[in-house]
Amino acid sequence: MTRPIAKNMEIPVADGEGERYSLRMGPQHPATHGVLRVDLELDGETIVACTPQVGYLHRGFEKLAENKTYAQTLILTDRLDYIAAMANNVGYCVAVERLLGISVPLRAQYIRTMVAEMSRICSHLLWLATHALDIGAMTVFLYCFREREILLDLFEELCGARLTFSYPRIGGVRQDVTVRFIDELQRFLDIFPSRIEEYETLIDTNRIWLKRTVGIGKVTGEEALALGLTGACLRGSGVDYDLRKHQPYDAYGLVDFEVPLGSDGDIYARYRCRMEEMHQSERIIQQCIDQLPPGPIFGPDAPDLVMPNKAPARIEAGTNAYGTGLIKLIRDRNLYLTGDVYVATEVPKGELGFYFISDGNNRPYRMHIRSPSFIHIGALAAIAKGELIADLIANIGSLDVVLGESDR
Amino acid sequence: MQIRYKPRRGLLGTIFQVEILQGMGLTLKRLFSRPITRQYPDERPRIRPGFRGQHALVRDPATGDCKCVGCMRCAMVCPSRCIRIRSHKDKEPGSRRMIDCYRIEALRCVYCGFCEEVCPVNAIVLTEVFEYSSCDRTSLYFTKEQLLSNWDRFAAQLDMPVDAYVNPFWRPRGLAERDLPAPKRLPVPPEWSGEQQVVGRQWQRHLPPEHA
Repeated sequence: MTRPIAKNMEIPVADGEGERYSLRMGPQHPATHGVLRVDLELDGETIVACTPQVGYLHRGFEKLAENKTYAQTLILTDRLDYIAAMANNVGYCVAVERLLGISVPLRAQYIRTMVAEMSRICSHLLWLATHALDIGAMTVFLYCFREREILLDLFEELCGARLTFSYPRIGGVRQDVTVRFIDELQRFLDIFPSRIEEYETLIDTNRIWLKRTVGIGKVTGEEALALGLTGACLRGSGVDYDLRKHQPYDAYGLVDFEVPLGSDGDIYARYRCRMEEMHQSERIIQQCIDQLPPGPIFGPDAPDLVMPNKAPARIEAGTNAYGTGLIKLIRDRNLYLTGDVYVATEVPKGELGFYFISDGNNRPYRMHIRSPSFIHIGALAAIAKGELIADLIANIGSLDVVLGESDR
Repeated sequence: MQIRYKPRRGLLGTIFQVEILQGMGLTLKRLFSRPITRQYPDERPRIRPGFRGQHALVRDPATGDCKCVGCMRCAMVCPSRCIRIRSHKDKEPGSRRMIDCYRIEALRCVYCGFCEEVCPVNAIVLTEVFEYSSCDRTSLYFTKEQLLSNWDRFAAQLDMPVDAYVNPFWRPRGLAERDLPAPKRLPVPPEWSGEQQVVGRQWQRHLPPEHA
């Protein structure tokens, strides 16, 4: 059955008799969080098939990294998940340090943990704001941005940027923290729990919110593992998997925190997990402030920003270059190790992994990024199938995807 | 840790819409508190010291020219390769390397601040000026003269003597003096130079044995 809307133009109308039509949602749709396109096959308002299309924000970071030194590649990681750039920076630095065998002083580890958790709160606040806006709660958006602004001001105080921080460096951090930064952060931590209560007053038991979230987008633990979900999406289904706890990096092994776990695996469980994670992040930051030790901010073996092409070489004493026709070169210091490494860190969205192959040069031979958003978008097809089109918006929001990270 | 949900809504809560009224009450309360919105063009935001904004070349008061010595470290470290430098050196012994051309494509710059950090003579700086958007591209290809005048404009609005200005990226906070070349050992407060660090109240208690 068709209905004419203009001359020579007809659109099919769903009549519940199995007539299907296809709809392309995005890439300019405001609720797709960037430039995600979802090709939908619909029967009425029910989604029969859903195919996410990515690539509108592809900038070729993995290829670009092959032409940049390890120090220069840091600025590309700012632009992966741009709402939690600090967590990406830290993840990248942790990976390169493990690849090149560089140690980080304890003070720098604590500062990094602190800023990574600040960025987790930033990301969760923006997630809550936009997710609530998608579902229809406008007020929460404004309240969340109020607190996010405080954190962005703090980042500006620390490193001079509000979005693309480039703050950590390989083997430490670029700037030490100041008294004013710590004081302002402490003031933020003092008010933040009451602010979380405000968001919860607005939406936690609100009947419209519950209607839109409880029982929607259900994923069981096994399904979530099979789909490759990580982060709060996996923990909302009750799987205890948090790299901060199970593979501690930086100072996460030295601070005390808990991993919130849901059981239902629906949108509401993921929402509760993230709200609880904000409380835990606040706990971690408080402990980092209290335990911040004195010391250098980067180690003696941290490479310079201008990374030399190869480690300096010298001719081994005793070898006769003319006699044998061979010159034996020895590397003074094994600055760049060869080999490959996969290092994953827990960023607000999930598990961010960096895979490097090093050929002993000052730039990676190959860098691959395992970005949580890409995997989560892949899981969208399985989660949204059979649900209503309005719930697709809630599902996209709940998976917390950022297209900058997905398309790289 | 298993997350806990708030108790389910009771019959009275359903009838009297308690949770909606609570939310409304919160927003109503906010109506009477001071707004946090800043009306930007009229109300200036507070820019923190060390903000990475418009580029400038520091004018050397002794020569009236830039301080750059043409070492090319900034051009080498720049991740977006937006710095172009041409320089020459006269044949006479003892003559200084002269900078013929120093260009920055502000449109390609990613404002990472690496150039400031590697510059051995503190010649380049990212100033705290952030309002320089333009409708044409050519005015954002900064030449040496433009970069010097950027510095003059920034220096005029500084509330301190120009000689006392130290950018946090010229001398990174917390870096010991011995790790720096001589021109970068600028006079800074003890908190900045790393002699006096912010330390947590219980920093010794939770140290792992290998660090104690």
